[in-house]
Amino acid sequence: MFYDTIQNSDSLKAAADSAGAENSLAGLANNLTFDISKIGTDGIIISVIGYVIVFMALLTLFFFIKNLTKLLHLNLRKKLSAQGRQVEQKDLDIPGEIAAAISTAITLHYQEVHDFENTIVTIKKVQKPYSPWSSKIYGLRQTPLRK
Amino acid sequence: MEILQQLAESFTTFFQYTGFANITIGHAIMIVIGLVFIYLGIAKEYEPLLLVPIGFGILVGNIPFFENAGLQLGIYEEGSVLNYLYYGVTKGIYPPLIFLGIGAMTDFSALLSNPKLMLLGAAAQVGIFLTFIAALALGFPAEHAAAIGIIGGADGPTAIFLSSKLAPELIGAIAIAAYSYMALVPVIQPPIINLLTSPEERKMKMKPPRSVSRLEKILFPIVGLLLTTFISPGGLPLLGMLFFGNLLKESGVTRRLADTSSKALIDIVTLLLGLTVGASTQATTFLTPQSILIFVLGAVSFAIATAGGILFAKFMNLFLKGDNKLNPMIGAAGVSAVPDSARVVQHLGLKDDPSNHLLMHAMAPNVSGVIGSAVAAGILLSLLMRVV
Repeated sequence: MFYDTIQNSDSLKAAADSAGAENSLAGLANNLTFDISKIGTDGIIISVIGYVIVFMALLTLFFFIKNLTKLLHLNLRKKLSAQGRQVEQKDLDIPGEIAAAISTAITLHYQEVHDFENTIVTIKKVQKPYSPWSSKIYGLRQTPLRK
Repeated sequence: MEILQQLAESFTTFFQYTGFANITIGHAIMIVIGLVFIYLGIAKEYEPLLLVPIGFGILVGNIPFFENAGLQLGIYEEGSVLNYLYYGVTKGIYPPLIFLGIGAMTDFSALLSNPKLMLLGAAAQVGIFLTFIAALALGFPAEHAAAIGIIGGADGPTAIFLSSKLAPELIGAIAIAAYSYMALVPVIQPPIINLLTSPEERKMKMKPPRSVSRLEKILFPIVGLLLTTFISPGGLPLLGMLFFGNLLKESGVTRRLADTSSKALIDIVTLLLGLTVGASTQATTFLTPQSILIFVLGAVSFAIATAGGILFAKFMNLFLKGDNKLNPMIGAAGVSAVPDSARVVQHLGLKDDPSNHLLMHAMAPNVSGVIGSAVAAGILLSLLMRVV
């Protein structure tokens, strides 16, 4: 309906017609003066409606995202309230800095191999199967560590 | 004697085809502009990924040659290699591909953790619509005015997409203006930010964003696509690709596709886009009073968009309390020059307070601005395409 109104609007049609007539850019160059009357009501309507729709689109997204977290935490909050723990939404929102600190701590924990070194230290006998074709094996060093 | 005459004629004919015989003052000006772009890209490192290809493209497009001789050299000559590559610009093929890559590179976490910042991205689109009105007042036809206004979105691909549909004859000037202003964000925005904010406001610290779950990140592109494109179907090619790229990234199961989109594909399209947009500035077609006016209107549009974002952040602060208040500078990032305007805000924040890191906060309106400008382009396309 709105599109039809815009399509049928006289001033925009006139603008489109005049665009055909003076669409040659050179012609336009000679006609470049700032004149508010050239805007027309339709120009204003397009601007206002356009801006409002942009706001509406992003406002809709805003409301969706705002409530998404609450929806996702609904189950968790039910479980916690069944345990007799009342928690607010803000308590479930972990700040990114804290999440980063926890992640870093866990990573360091798993990378810190010295605390969990294999304490079984044995000397393993290196197999040296004899073959006349590989007799040089006795002259070569074999590393005991095998991964 | 005849041989000498023939030699002289051959040389004259050859000379007619050289650049020296065909150079005009316009070519010389454009070559200088191309060199300036390359200088800014390499020496100053202002958006080198954009300015170097565009700058070199300007050189390529402004090597003077004997036009209309059937050599099929120029970008506007049908059948030339450059003309084929330029097809991706004129038909609006490159912008959605760029958006695919942007989607695959963008982390919407900052926006998801503080969704009210999304409104700043909407507020900054005021530049588009005010410039649209200004261009109408200057006598531009409605569809040209819309294509010029979209420069204020500070989004090169969106500007190219819309002008390819509404004002193909202005595409070169609009693309160059949009990309130039995107590259010059570090120069244009700081004075406006400093003018509209006090030192106390610039020092304001914002509370750290919350961590965002994987499920939220996966749901966002799906719901975002459905909501925005149902409202503004005209932006479907851009928004569809943006959210598709983001889903590839966030799903975690299509890493190869996300990698290709965010690296190889976007690199290929960027260099083709940059080179052809640069080459489209062929002096004989490009250097017109309209191009200069488009540049001026583009700058106005960009400045209004920046100011609109900042002022709206201040307006929001009237209703926010305590640590929920916003540093008004992040409103400037509502223009969709990702991530340049967010970097500018971070830089200015650190200048006033070395411990004030605003990058993550500024990224939220920044990515919201990308969505906002694509929605605005879709709306203008829907409203004006039928009138043309």
